[in-house]
Amino acid sequence: MNEVKPINLIGVTACPSGVAHTYMAAESLETAAKAAGCDVHVETQGQIGIENQLSAEAIKAADVVILTNDIGIKNEDRFKGKLVLRVSSGDLIGKSPIIVKKLMAKLAEA
Amino acid sequence: MEIVTKDIINLDLKTQDKNDAIRQLGQLLNNAGRLNDLEGYVQNVIERETLTTTGIGFGIAIPHGKTDAVKDISVAVARLHDPIDWASLDGGKVDLIFQLAVPESSKGDEHLRLLSALSRNLIHEDFRNTIRTSQTAQEVIDLISQSLTKALEV
Repeated sequence: MNEVKPINLIGVTACPSGVAHTYMAAESLETAAKAAGCDVHVETQGQIGIENQLSAEAIKAADVVILTNDIGIKNEDRFKGKLVLRVSSGDLIGKSPIIVKKLMAKLAEA
Repeated sequence: MEIVTKDIINLDLKTQDKNDAIRQLGQLLNNAGRLNDLEGYVQNVIERETLTTTGIGFGIAIPHGKTDAVKDISVAVARLHDPIDWASLDGGKVDLIFQLAVPESSKGDEHLRLLSALSRNLIHEDFRNTIRTSQTAQEVIDLISQSLTKALEV
């Protein structure tokens, strides 16, 4: 098995009311990824609108894309051809450290 | 109007179940003149709760209503005398509630940024712990304001 090393993660979070879960999920993913030494950039699609929008370069450089599946994500076709993981915002809020570790292990196998 | 004031904080809320907690916090918001329609607001929050639980784990629930029954964007805070079930994501009981009230038509409202910053703060254990050990409502307000100011400067 190959060595587990930091990966480049991007994500987009959204939730039905767009005022709380969207941001908690983003913060949780960012915190967990940074703690694991990974590069991370998370776009939020909330009531405020789109913030921290992912650039074409960020998308190109990403090893994996994490999208919340509570409601539809806008402009999802940007991620065509990328490795995409769909999880609930609740899972990101509660389990981001585990999700990040699993992704790192998975990508090390590849 | 500030999003959180002393009159919408209860550091020793006594309740047995989540709908009652939501109603009591709704009552606080209504008494503070922050709602147009108490019943409409409480129903909206309870309906939202049936979509997915707002028990996000870590002992925290963030019930929220986004409806025209709300006049001013607000966050009511309660620390519970006895922890209650909230169908939380991590299966644990809830002892800290941040109940949001957001007018339906608040798009672009600067206050929404405060709510998003507060939501982000709740992810961090040290923030949750300091709220749990605060002695007074004013301390809670100061903590929330400080951390929000910091978050909004970035």
